[in-house]
Amino acid sequence: MNVIWAIAIVVLKELYRRKDFYVLFVLTALITLTMGSVNFFNDHSIVRYLKEFCLLLIWISSLVIAIATAARQIPAERENRTIFPLLAKPVSRAQLILGKFSGCWLACGVCLLVFYFFFGVIAASREHQWPVANYFQALALHWFALGVLVAVTLLGSIVFAAPSSNGTIIFVIAVGILAIGRHLNKVALQLAEPGRSIVYAIYYLIPHLELFDVRDLIIHDLPLVPWHIWALALLYAAAYTAFFLGGAWLLFRRRPLTT
Amino acid sequence: MPCPYLCLAFLLTICATLATYVEPWYQNWAGSRSQQSSLLTTVMGDSRRLFANHFFVKADEYFHNGYYPTIFDQRDDARSLHIAEGAGAVEEKDEGETDFLGKPKDWIDRFGRHFYPSHHAHLGSGHDEDQPSPERELLPWLRLSATLDPQKIESYTVTAYWLRQMKRYDEAVQFLRDGLRANPSSYEILLELGRVYAEGRKDSTTARNIWELALRRWNEQEPQKPKPNKFMLLQICTELTRLELNEKHFDKAISYLELMKKTSPHPDEMQKRSEEIKQGKY
Amino acid sequence: MESVVKIENLQVEYRSKEFGQRTKLAVNGLNLVVQQGEVFGFLGPNGAGKTTTMNVLLGFVNATSGVAYLFGTNVREPIARQRIGYLPELTYYYKFLTGKELLRFYTRVFNIPSAEAERRIDEVLKLVELNGAHQRQIKTYSKGMQQRIGLAQALINNPDLLILDEPTSGLDPVGRMKVREIIQRLKSEGKTVFFSSHELGEVETVCDRVAILCDGELKVAGRVNELVEKYQTNLEQVFLKIIGYPLPP
Repeated sequence: MNVIWAIAIVVLKELYRRKDFYVLFVLTALITLTMGSVNFFNDHSIVRYLKEFCLLLIWISSLVIAIATAARQIPAERENRTIFPLLAKPVSRAQLILGKFSGCWLACGVCLLVFYFFFGVIAASREHQWPVANYFQALALHWFALGVLVAVTLLGSIVFAAPSSNGTIIFVIAVGILAIGRHLNKVALQLAEPGRSIVYAIYYLIPHLELFDVRDLIIHDLPLVPWHIWALALLYAAAYTAFFLGGAWLLFRRRPLTT
Repeated sequence: MPCPYLCLAFLLTICATLATYVEPWYQNWAGSRSQQSSLLTTVMGDSRRLFANHFFVKADEYFHNGYYPTIFDQRDDARSLHIAEGAGAVEEKDEGETDFLGKPKDWIDRFGRHFYPSHHAHLGSGHDEDQPSPERELLPWLRLSATLDPQKIESYTVTAYWLRQMKRYDEAVQFLRDGLRANPSSYEILLELGRVYAEGRKDSTTARNIWELALRRWNEQEPQKPKPNKFMLLQICTELTRLELNEKHFDKAISYLELMKKTSPHPDEMQKRSEEIKQGKY
Repeated sequence: MESVVKIENLQVEYRSKEFGQRTKLAVNGLNLVVQQGEVFGFLGPNGAGKTTTMNVLLGFVNATSGVAYLFGTNVREPIARQRIGYLPELTYYYKFLTGKELLRFYTRVFNIPSAEAERRIDEVLKLVELNGAHQRQIKTYSKGMQQRIGLAQALINNPDLLILDEPTSGLDPVGRMKVREIIQRLKSEGKTVFFSSHELGEVETVCDRVAILCDGELKVAGRVNELVEKYQTNLEQVFLKIIGYPLPP
């Protein structure tokens, strides 16, 4: 565990020394505050549109941070040759994968805390209420969704040589799942075979990231997700994360690291 | 070297010359549409209408607290938007069942319904009268829609309707006047403006003038169309009839009812009302 | 005496990029033993298989056949590397970390308790003369400083076996002298040093035993003084003769 934690801390340090997060946070804050300063019919209590814009920016920023950070971990280690002094220590490849995952995921968690706190302040400034339980549920679901993305990006970074291509592919897939993942079963019903079976297979195989996007519940002040359902969703994400990390380890453990 | 600067100056001169030649031709081609020369219009071009429509639909989505069909859920017949129907901007259609989701198709669908709005509801249903009206949340999207496409009449009429519900009459008047500047011949906007004056400012004289103007505009534009907008004619005439009855101008009320009889799907009802007024039963 | 490094019938094949050749034999049937307390020189021309052999020992590459042990543990086990330190030829470390943070990271990897870790960090920083720059980020270090921080991370766990790949490559004479002093010091402490180098003069000075590889095969292994005596010439000439380089009459 020490090794995994040590590697995770290095990833965290890289994130807060790299400036990506600050740029995205400042952009999010600027756009949100600009949208908030617009006067709609002299009503200063309108809040839902602001929540929608802010949450959309948070999701976009978090996807960029998660995927970009994870995509460059192992390729950068190989390109910069820092992987050699690291793996020359009593560090297994599984520990390296887990350490990188933990670092990226924790970094995403820290970023989300900051983003959601900002969101909470903005919303509370107009709504004068702070539905902590709802925000906590949303944050946890969001974090676990990013965990799945980090894991699949790490797997992709072992398959694809270039972080940019890996990152682009994962980003497109993630956006695709978020946008239409829920509707693939309807699309399948409208197709003839073999298209129907293919789409159904995709529908059942993909990690349904849209389950973790509860922005509409937050925006429209709808009730909490039942806690047992929420826990099941987290378990679902954990299962996919473990699957992708396992795949990454299987691919990575026998891969030669040529100097 | 002076040569490259001379070339640049020469090219600049050619550009300016071409612009003076092309601009009048473009004005001819664009026609006499009233256009806002905003930065948004310049940057976005015609795609602004797409976004305007999207934001208008967004307002409807907000009206339903997020419970809204996607393109994957749309039925074959054209849907109209509830906020537009409620505002009287379009005719109400009996669309039967409003639960577009239906039964869950599989366990993922069933599980997933906990994570997004999956029950039909309207914004503001059951809200406390003492609290600010929750329908205010529609306003930004409607405003954005109107800004992006000033020629979208519905944006103005629906917004004004909701402003009227919130008793924000001054803002409604201002907004409708902006709409009239962009669409000077719009009888829909005039109808809504009349309603604001009648209901909010209790100014029946101005309301009458505006509605009569709306009727004239309708008569100028609609009769020559293959499918005139009879719904709007009925709306205008209904308001005028009600106003005249309140003012006890029964002859005028009857004349408007006669006008409505020609286009109403229920001419008997119009006739019955006319008879009642003639008999002094009103 | 315990053998620190033991290689038995090691064979490593790579997929070849050359047309008409499917695999390339990088190491062919290597047998080698390094005893505790030795300073062992691993020599050979470019492409002889030295780096490949080191990569197998360090677990970067899997052997096609044969087996290698470090302190009696198969090199495929990560725990085999608990008692070693490795200095790569090209030293790159996390640029965004300071020197001290880098060393602290490696002490955590080795599970060294924090009090002991701080003591070790101060000790190695002093040894490599970086105690003035340890708070600066590594991206601000010169090449020589990067080489020294590399040496520091190789020594951080007080290793019983130090594997050095071209340790004096790119160093100025002062730097080379420092490396030689460190090797001598480690030897006096009973540590084992296994290094590859092209500086045969240096090898002749510090090494107890050497092995010469050529085309993936071990050509000769033995004590330096014995080889010099046998061939009646210096180590450089012995090397050239072994690899078949045509010497002038």
